[in-house]
Amino acid sequence: MDRIERLIKLTAFLLDTRRPVTLGRLRKTVYLDQEGTEAALRRMFERDKEELREMGIDIKAVPVGPEDDVGYIIPRDQYYLPHLDLEPDERVALTMVSRLFLGSGTPFSGPAHSALLKLAFDAREKMTESRVPHIHWVGVPRDRELLGPIIDGLTRRKLLTFSYRALDATEPVEREVEPYGLFNRRGFWYMVGRCHLRGETRCFKLDRIGSRVEVNKKSPRTPDFKLPRGFNLAKEARWEWPLPSGEEDVVARVSFSQRLAFDSSTGRANVLSSKQRKDGSVEVTYDVGDPEQFVDWVLEFGTDARIVAPPELIEMARERLRGVLTGAVGSRG
Amino acid sequence: MVLEEEGLSIDVLCERLEATRDELLEDLNVLWMCGLPDYTPADLIDFRLEGDRVYLEMADYFKRPLTITRDEALVMFVAGRALLEAKVFKKTGPLGSALKKVESALSRDELGDVENVAERIDLEIDACSGRLWGTIEGGLEKEKNLALEYYSFSRDTVTSREVEPLSLVWSKGHWYLLAWCQTAADYRLFRLDRIKKVRLTSRSPTRKAPEESYMPEVVGEYRPGKKSHTVRLKFFGKEGRRLVEDWPTAEFRENRDGSFTVELRTRNLSWLASYLLRFGDRFRVESPRELAKAVQAKASEILEAYS
Repeated sequence: MDRIERLIKLTAFLLDTRRPVTLGRLRKTVYLDQEGTEAALRRMFERDKEELREMGIDIKAVPVGPEDDVGYIIPRDQYYLPHLDLEPDERVALTMVSRLFLGSGTPFSGPAHSALLKLAFDAREKMTESRVPHIHWVGVPRDRELLGPIIDGLTRRKLLTFSYRALDATEPVEREVEPYGLFNRRGFWYMVGRCHLRGETRCFKLDRIGSRVEVNKKSPRTPDFKLPRGFNLAKEARWEWPLPSGEEDVVARVSFSQRLAFDSSTGRANVLSSKQRKDGSVEVTYDVGDPEQFVDWVLEFGTDARIVAPPELIEMARERLRGVLTGAVGSRG
Repeated sequence: MVLEEEGLSIDVLCERLEATRDELLEDLNVLWMCGLPDYTPADLIDFRLEGDRVYLEMADYFKRPLTITRDEALVMFVAGRALLEAKVFKKTGPLGSALKKVESALSRDELGDVENVAERIDLEIDACSGRLWGTIEGGLEKEKNLALEYYSFSRDTVTSREVEPLSLVWSKGHWYLLAWCQTAADYRLFRLDRIKKVRLTSRSPTRKAPEESYMPEVVGEYRPGKKSHTVRLKFFGKEGRRLVEDWPTAEFRENRDGSFTVELRTRNLSWLASYLLRFGDRFRVESPRELAKAVQAKASEILEAYS
C-alpha cells in the first residue's frame, strides 16, 4: 500500500470512528500490511500524523481507558469546512483577496488556489465570477525560489543560511540568520532577521542573496530560536525604507508642465495638495520622508518638473546636475 | 477538487491538477482502492471512467472539503491586510467581517499560529488612484471595453486606444491594467499613473478572457525591438549595482579599477537621460553619443530653470 493510500485510509478511519482509536487498533486495521517492530510502526504513524498536519488535518490524541492509553480521532466539526455564511459582498471581498496571489509565482499561489476552491464550494448560489474584478500580484521569477525557504524558516523558526552581497561589499559572504520578518516595498522583498555573523538584527534585500536559501534540517519540529520580545516589523521596515511620518518630514512643492500634469505617480512621498495654474501646469505639495529619493524622482521628469521649494531640495538637485556636467566632460562625445 | 455532475474530461483534470495523464490515472486508481479497512463497497470512493470523462462519487466523509488550513488562512490575512492598506477595501466594510468569519473556522491554536506569522509579513501596495480606479473597476465588473488615453513611455507620446480590460495588476511597485489592446491586437499592461483619461464604453469585448492563471510572467519586462539603442554606462561606486537591481534586464560587469560597466537596451533615450541625472558625477556615458549629448543638454536646461 503506498503512502497516499495509507494517508487517505488513516484520515477516513479516524474521521469515521465514533470513539478514539488506539495505535493497537490502527495496527490491526489501517496499518495491517505493515511489517516491522512496534517502534517502527510508531515512527511511521508519527510521520503520517505530521504529514497530515501539514495538510491541515489535525489528529487529536485523547486519553482512553484505565491504563494511560492514548486514542486518536479527527473531530468532525474541526475537520470539515464550517458553513462560513458569507454575505454576497463578503464573498466578493474574500474572493478578490484570495485571488491576489493566484499565479503570482510566490509560495502563496497554491494556498490561494485551494482557498478559492473552498470558497466556491461554500457558495449557496453559484457566484458569477465575471462580476468580481480581478486584482493580481505579479512578482519576478526568482521570488518563488527564495520565498519558499524564507517563509518556511519564518513560520517554523528555523535558521537560514545563504550567501549575501551587501550593497557596498565586493564579495558575497555566507550568512546564518534567524528570520523574524518579511516585507515588500515597491516590489522589492526584504527579510529581517538576526545575523549571527554581525550579531545584530539586519534587513536583507532578497535581490542581493547570491545562492539558494537553505533551511536548517536538524530537529525539524523544534524551533532554533525565540522571537525577540517586542519585535516590530513595521519599525524595522521604516528603517530600511523611510516614509513620510511626521515632524521630521520635509514639505516640498513641485511644478509639473502641462504635458505631464496628469501623471499622478508620487514616488514615495504623500501628496498634500495640488493646484492647477492658468498655463495648464500643476503645482503639487508633498510630504517627503526621504529627500534624496524624492529629488532623484523629480529629476526623472527632466524638464517637465521643477522643484519650487524648499531651497535645500533645490540645492540637492542643482548639485546632482552640476555633477553630471562635470562628469560628462570626461565622456566620449 | 470541486466535482461537477457532468463529470470532468481527463484533459481538464490533468491541467487543473498539473499532472500527466499517467499520473492522474494512477492517482485515481489509488482513490478507487480506498475506503474503510474492511473494504465494504458502500465505503469506497467510487469513480467511473466513461470514455474520456471521469465521474466521482465520494463517500460521505469526503463530500465536504477540509476546513481552512493554516496556509490558506495566512494567505487571506496577508493579502487582506495589504489590500486594506491600499484602500481597495474599507476597514469597516465587508472584507473585515469576512475575515472574522474565516477566523472562526480555525481552532484557537491554529488562529494563534497563523496570526503570529501574518503579523510578521508585510506587503505594501500603493493606494489606488480614485480617479481611474472606479472606471476601470466598472469595466471589469460589467465586462465592457474602456477607451484609454495613454502616455506611451517608449514612444514618449499620448495615444488613444480601445481596450478589453482583464485585471488590475500590482507589480514591482506600480499598478497596471492588464487588457487586450485592440490597436496592438495583443495583451498589454498599462501603467495606471500614465493613463491620462479613461472612459467606460458600452461595447463588449471581442475576445473571450483567457484562463484565470494567465499572467504575464514579468511585468514591465522590456523586450527591445529593432529600433532600440544599446547603451553602455560606467559607474563609480555602488550606484551601478542599484541600477541593476532596478533594471533586471541590464547587464552588469565589474571592472578591475572597481568601477562597473552596465549595458542595457532601450528605445527611449530621452527618459534614460533624465533617469541618469540622479547619479550626478558618479557615472559616464560610454555610448551612444546621442545619449551623452542628451544628458548634458538636459542637465544644462534644468540647471538654467533653477537659476
